[in-house]
Amino acid sequence: MSSTAIKPARPSGAMTVASALRLQHVLPVVSLVVVLSLWEVVGQSMNPLLFAPPSRVVGAFSGLIKSGELLAATLTTVSTLSVGFALAILVGIPLGVLMAQFPRFGELLSPYLYGIFSTPRVVIVPLIIVWFGVGYSGRLFLIFLWSMIAISTSTTDGVRNARPDLIEVARSYGASRIEMVRHVLLPGAVPFVVSGLRIGAERAVVGVVIGEMFLQLTGLGGLLVTSAKSFQTAEMLCAVVVIAVIGTILITALDLLEQQVSSWKRRAT
Amino acid sequence: MPSEINTPNKLELKNIHKSFPTVVKGHAGRTQILAGVDLVVKANEFLTIIGPSGCGKTTLLRIIASLLPADSGEVLVDGKPVTEPSAERAMVFQSFGLFPWKTVLDNVRFPLGIRNVPPREATEIAMTYLRKVGLEKSASAHPHQLSGGMQQRVGLARALATEPEVLLMDEPFGAIDAQTRELMQEELMRLWQETRNTVIFVTHDLDEAVLLADRVVLMSPGPGHVRKLVSVDLPRPRWGYDVRAHEQFAPLRAELWQALRGDLLQGSAAG
Amino acid sequence: MTAVITTGATSVPTRSMRWKEPRRHLLFLAGVLVLWQLGNLALGQLVLPSVPSVFKALLEITLSGALIKAMGESILLLFLGLSAALAIGFFFGVLIGRSKLAQWTLSPYFSALFVTPTVALVPLVLVWFGFGLSGRVLVVILAAVVPIMLSVAGSLRDEPGELVEVARSFGVRGEIALLVHVRLRAALPVILSGFRLAVGRAVVGMAVAETYLRLGGIGALINSYGALFQTDYVFASILPLTFLGIGLTKLVSRVERHFQGWQS
Repeated sequence: MSSTAIKPARPSGAMTVASALRLQHVLPVVSLVVVLSLWEVVGQSMNPLLFAPPSRVVGAFSGLIKSGELLAATLTTVSTLSVGFALAILVGIPLGVLMAQFPRFGELLSPYLYGIFSTPRVVIVPLIIVWFGVGYSGRLFLIFLWSMIAISTSTTDGVRNARPDLIEVARSYGASRIEMVRHVLLPGAVPFVVSGLRIGAERAVVGVVIGEMFLQLTGLGGLLVTSAKSFQTAEMLCAVVVIAVIGTILITALDLLEQQVSSWKRRAT
Repeated sequence: MPSEINTPNKLELKNIHKSFPTVVKGHAGRTQILAGVDLVVKANEFLTIIGPSGCGKTTLLRIIASLLPADSGEVLVDGKPVTEPSAERAMVFQSFGLFPWKTVLDNVRFPLGIRNVPPREATEIAMTYLRKVGLEKSASAHPHQLSGGMQQRVGLARALATEPEVLLMDEPFGAIDAQTRELMQEELMRLWQETRNTVIFVTHDLDEAVLLADRVVLMSPGPGHVRKLVSVDLPRPRWGYDVRAHEQFAPLRAELWQALRGDLLQGSAAG
Repeated sequence: MTAVITTGATSVPTRSMRWKEPRRHLLFLAGVLVLWQLGNLALGQLVLPSVPSVFKALLEITLSGALIKAMGESILLLFLGLSAALAIGFFFGVLIGRSKLAQWTLSPYFSALFVTPTVALVPLVLVWFGFGLSGRVLVVILAAVVPIMLSVAGSLRDEPGELVEVARSFGVRGEIALLVHVRLRAALPVILSGFRLAVGRAVVGMAVAETYLRLGGIGALINSYGALFQTDYVFASILPLTFLGIGLTKLVSRVERHFQGWQS
């Protein structure tokens, strides 16, 4: 029965493993080339300015690089993102541990965190303006708070899921509360913390873009909106691609970390 | 041995009671687990506790370790009551209880760190005990790279490294396969001959209980109490000869089995 | 016997805790509101509007119909976007889940869509597809479609081999019939958890589209008060949106739990 588990729905005759492997790598490339060429042809013939065919995007890209605009915008975005995310980690992990160690406090606080987490950030922007003004600290806050909530929630879950037998071991040797957190609870929570970091990173990337688009026109988000206002589609696409690349790098790195940590966890249990 | 009459009491249990809150058919109540356990353990004695599941032997061990508070009664070590867990009553766990993220060496060093032993000295002590259990070469390995038997050797080394006054062992070989278990039993005997800690060893394996013990405590359930105390005078050291074939082994085993069988039958009839 | 019963020991404190819980939460809420009110005194009405003023604003926009109109527009947008995202997500999910060729040809686009924050796509979509309802619906689709597609594709990939055999033995024939009767039914819990993620993202997409356009819906309403610095009205109009998001997610997770229980 289990031998039938994996088979392609279209049994395309005698597809050998080797040719399947080759297809797996060739097909995405072929499909990208076809789509990009179609876009080039159709875009050029209809409205090259509006539909920005690939050739125009490449042109815009080199133009933005030459003027230094893209590099400056990327630096702004990446530095704000890094600071906000780092703050979220620094506050999120200890808060998560506290919420697990004092479950009553955690239970009381978590509905509010969940409420904030469920509120789309764009609608908070008017409040950010009156609280922080239109500037760096407001953009930082948009990254920090939502990312921090994701990290602390996962940390709490991880600490609560600590293995009771290991807690007993530490207790039997007279470990203090702090030693318990350091030697048992935090190391055991690492897989959860890492998946919290992943969710937090997604939130952080969205947060930095929202801040730059809706709060203060700067960085890649600002580039996106200013290009949109003058219908410079090619420039907009450049900004979107760089944002996507930043997100991909950050999230792939955390994915790899998560895989490593969870494989260690699986082997251990 | 008659000379042991003069050895001091290491550990005394006085009238230990323990119950747990339970819900039976929606009614909250309490189930009595231990009712009036009295026990005296001599210094350097190897005591095994055996009994059917549910007789409270593991609960008793946790009360001795101060991992659980007793409802009433006292645990005395060297005549002084104890209430806080401490490495002087080190525990070896059935599930090994090794930290998967620490190396073997760091696992053994862990209780020494809690006792503020300086790092270099802690490493030395830990290596000494790893050598005793034959694992000095695996010091930098992680627990998941070791077999069950090797993992429990680490657990044993960790407990011994604190040089405990009383070593508490909770079915330590219960999760280890039969052949390895026999090797571990022999090794434990060798180590004990050397260190001569006071040991309380909980098991559900009758052979193991007789094989290791100076005295066997048989506990009965419903609620748990000490039913029988049997002295085992098999010659020591108990390796190098077939202990199970010794003329005293079979009668002791039979005597304990008679008592245990009754409890088991009652248990299966009630449950 | 006793060993089994002792495991019940933990259920007693949790039960009594659940009894006290509503009261403790209400007390905590009261504390939060008192703190809020103190904050209002310290920081002023603009930064932190007083609790009564927020309730007054909520009452007023509810009675005037502004809130209901905006929420109606938003819910319509969500409904259209989510329905379309479901249809599209199912179509591509089945295709990618059941055909390796489709997976290899189409997955680059979906992965690209997955890593790109929807917010960043909004200006593009609106330049290309206009400022009408269709552009806004497209934003919601882009936000919600990937989790649906991924959960459908992923759950169809691990074949419920035994169930398929059973169904075959009872005379269910053909790929489509098997898909509908066995595979999708077996995959329902996973698909629902993908849908739950999609709902959360759809609400964000909706808010972004409405905020960017300021043409209607709750997102536009909030921002119109924001532009006038009427902070009490901003709070009063954010609250229903938060509860809409939480409510929809809870609804889906309740359905999810229902089917999970039914499966195991």
